[in-house]
Amino acid sequence: MIGKSKPASRKARGAKIPVRSVPAIRTPADLRTHLQMALQVEHATIPPYFTAWLSIQDGQNFEAAETIRGVLLEEMLHLTLVANLLNAVNGNPSLTHRRFIPRYPHRLPHSGDRFEINIEKFSKSALETFLKIERPEAKGARPQPGHFHTIGQFYAAVGQSLDELCERLGEGRVFCGDPSRQIRPEDYYGAGSIVVVTNRDTAHWAIAKIVQQGEGAHHGIFDGDHKILGEDGGQEVAHYYRFMEILKGRSYTQHDTPSSGPTGCVMPVDYSAVHPIQSNALASSYPRGSEIRAALVAFARGYGGLLAALEAAFNGDRSRLTEGVARMFSLRNQALALMQTPSGDGRTTVGLDFGPPLRRSV
Amino acid sequence: MSAHYDAVIVGGGIVGALVARILSQAGKRVLILEAGIEGAMNPATYRRYLQTLYTEGGTRGMPNGPYPWNEAAPSPGDPGGRPYYQYDTDMHFMSDYLRMLGGTTLHWQGTSLRLVPNDFRMQTTYGQGIDWPITYDDLEPAYQRAEQEVGVSADVEDQRIFGVWFPDGYVYPMHRMPQSMVDQFFGKKLAKKSVTLHGGRYPLRVISIPVARNSTPNPKFGLGDGYRPVAAVANRDQGLRCQGNSVCMPLCPVQAKYSALKTLETMARSDLVEIRTQCVASRLLIDRDSGRVNGVEYKRYETPGSPPGSPGYPPQTETVQGTLVVLAANAIENATLLLASHAANSSDQVGRNLMDHPYLYVWGYSPTPIYPFRGPDTTSGVESLRDGKFREVHASFRASLSNWGWSGEPGHQIKELLGQQTYGKALRSELAARMAHMVKIGFMFEQLPSPKNRVTISSELRDTMGNFQPVLSYHYDAYSLAGVEVAVEKVWKKAITRYAEIDDKTCYPDDPVPPGYQRVMYNGIGYNIMGSGHIVGTHRMGSSRRHSVTDRNMKTWDHPNLYVVGAGNQVTIGTANPTLTAAALSVRAAEAMVRELK
Repeated sequence: MIGKSKPASRKARGAKIPVRSVPAIRTPADLRTHLQMALQVEHATIPPYFTAWLSIQDGQNFEAAETIRGVLLEEMLHLTLVANLLNAVNGNPSLTHRRFIPRYPHRLPHSGDRFEINIEKFSKSALETFLKIERPEAKGARPQPGHFHTIGQFYAAVGQSLDELCERLGEGRVFCGDPSRQIRPEDYYGAGSIVVVTNRDTAHWAIAKIVQQGEGAHHGIFDGDHKILGEDGGQEVAHYYRFMEILKGRSYTQHDTPSSGPTGCVMPVDYSAVHPIQSNALASSYPRGSEIRAALVAFARGYGGLLAALEAAFNGDRSRLTEGVARMFSLRNQALALMQTPSGDGRTTVGLDFGPPLRRSV
Repeated sequence: MSAHYDAVIVGGGIVGALVARILSQAGKRVLILEAGIEGAMNPATYRRYLQTLYTEGGTRGMPNGPYPWNEAAPSPGDPGGRPYYQYDTDMHFMSDYLRMLGGTTLHWQGTSLRLVPNDFRMQTTYGQGIDWPITYDDLEPAYQRAEQEVGVSADVEDQRIFGVWFPDGYVYPMHRMPQSMVDQFFGKKLAKKSVTLHGGRYPLRVISIPVARNSTPNPKFGLGDGYRPVAAVANRDQGLRCQGNSVCMPLCPVQAKYSALKTLETMARSDLVEIRTQCVASRLLIDRDSGRVNGVEYKRYETPGSPPGSPGYPPQTETVQGTLVVLAANAIENATLLLASHAANSSDQVGRNLMDHPYLYVWGYSPTPIYPFRGPDTTSGVESLRDGKFREVHASFRASLSNWGWSGEPGHQIKELLGQQTYGKALRSELAARMAHMVKIGFMFEQLPSPKNRVTISSELRDTMGNFQPVLSYHYDAYSLAGVEVAVEKVWKKAITRYAEIDDKTCYPDDPVPPGYQRVMYNGIGYNIMGSGHIVGTHRMGSSRRHSVTDRNMKTWDHPNLYVVGAGNQVTIGTANPTLTAAALSVRAAEAMVRELK
């Protein structure tokens, strides 16, 4: 969402990065490793939000569908901002290596309680997962390189190490990436504007943007103003609370607080107006030669093609972003077709398998 | 009596919205009176209209099909309503507008061409029509402001034709729309080809057309500030780019196409702008000594539709005052209200010189597949016949290349194929083959100002609320029809179909004439013509109070505080779809108002 600041944390802000895999940031190479990791974390919630959004039957549960779509777009913006950061420090964003797409159910560890994210339809339990992902968090401990409890800390450590590296090596030697590789506002749209990262200030700006979409007005339901982002905002209910409205089937009023819960109008949510897809579908569970398997493999290949187009766009060929957009529309059509195909168990329809695609496929 | 306003604006369409925006930016207090309902401004309602378009679009008529019939403020072409226009002639006026907040931009196409310099001086250059009191050069800065407001996607290089100029370094807010395969096909086939008209040779050059539809922003816009596309009303994640939904008219599903709702939304939180919907202005209260408009009388209704017997009927009559009064209610409604108020008419020009672009389709099959039915309805045109010496004898015209194949397809083809017992795979492949080759071009002709083409009122013809309905007299003159003949018989049949190897399927049936068209005969040949929705000329501007309704800043000659603004100020219609010019005129008028209110 443009300039949307949630009172709270993002997916991953509450999520632990496995400690062993996060060494302290001492060199530009360490920084690039961290940013590549951030790319993967930002990506991990895209498939579940995409799936829940599309599982809602066309024209139904509009509020829920738009809320999920809004968060999905934010994740895509974060992914692109991280790519710009990585390019600014002369990195090569990779979206196609074999382990880029996580296996679902995917454990996105949260500070305190652990939970799993599934590729599943829009439902109460999916909403509960989204609430966990988006839950407001009190600010954590100060960043300590090597031991991050949350992604918020992780980004803070990245920011701090940028400053240290700049002081030690000079700004020009840290930000030595080719500026023509930056994704620009004219290339990118949706969920706010992109930041072209070429120096220390713009890097902090980009990090602030990622983090701020999670913070903002700390203890309220409505978005704060948007001075930092320089965008005009209004009184809009932040994502976490929009999810809460949907779950409770009631809207917030101007007088409600997080503890009062929503006390406004009844907002009917129809959980049956949803395609009854299988959770965490796998192409490999369908017999070779079956149409469903072929369609699932085609979808996963399409998703792989999207990631490849994005990778190319993030590695100097910005025009491939347009191809990426076209691929997103194709994926939507493919996904809707799968979601309306009976899986054969008499109950569900086929879900989505984002891959990586089976090598020996069909 | 309510608060006093710096300006009371009648009409919440693009003109009223733009005037309100410029006045409020200058710190002035403004009231907009809108006859229709809030309607599409509410996102849930917008979605409902879209759903109506998807489910009943074909049966409710176009272009007002998705919108509810409102008996309290009827629109021409309202589905289900009784006819709004009344006629004094056999010939009908085929163009509609919409009375609802946002106005006719809720069904417009979005084409945003500028007029060309000779359109402003038709009498001097070609001995036809009359000259404007202003020139292209005078209006150029206002065109820029209008292009920024509606967010035009275009390429300056394509638009430098017939003396149309832009200041050094100017670029449109966004790059031109990507060119369709239809555009590329014609562009290639017609490259370096030309036609001879009235002794002069004219190239058949295909160029992109400017549209008020979000494409890729141009970072060079605003001397390097760039442009930020405007999203859908109340949904900042929607409509930042055209998605090629191929719906466009009347409603863009994602609002990538501009509507006045976007301009109105920017003012929604301003303390300086108040919008009252469901308030139909019925009369201007004029001080007969000073000529000042002392107030605007309007009828407020509670229930949209307001048939007698419903709550809120009879409507309440209220009055409001403004230092300035601005009529921005569309060319026909402005004229009706002026006539009802016996206002601004010392020249006897109010309601006269009603113009539209007579519109005519030609169609056929292309020699190779060009895959229409994708993208916005039109992205390019043959624009090289919009000006030339031939305007001494016949109308100029533009040829708009349709990206949507033939009208009403695939319905007609399926019916025909089923009638021939074609089923299953054969049906599918035959259908696919036909659809992939369909080309259609819309020719749009200029019309000269004529005092006989006019809006009048009659005391017996009123709507449910007691307001006057427009009574129209209308005809196409020989100047336009001679243009039609040249376009069809010469440019299409002798040039375009030959150069592009089109299998011409154009025919104009007269038994019966298809709905939405009317039959005209010229030199023994019949043509089926429709309207363009380009309603122009009923309160023209001029340099003399004897021949015009307003001065060059759109203030009426007769009343020191009354402005009448919109396409009705146009002196000639040229061949530009008029909304952008109406928006530019609004900018010019609003700037004059700001100076006056200082």
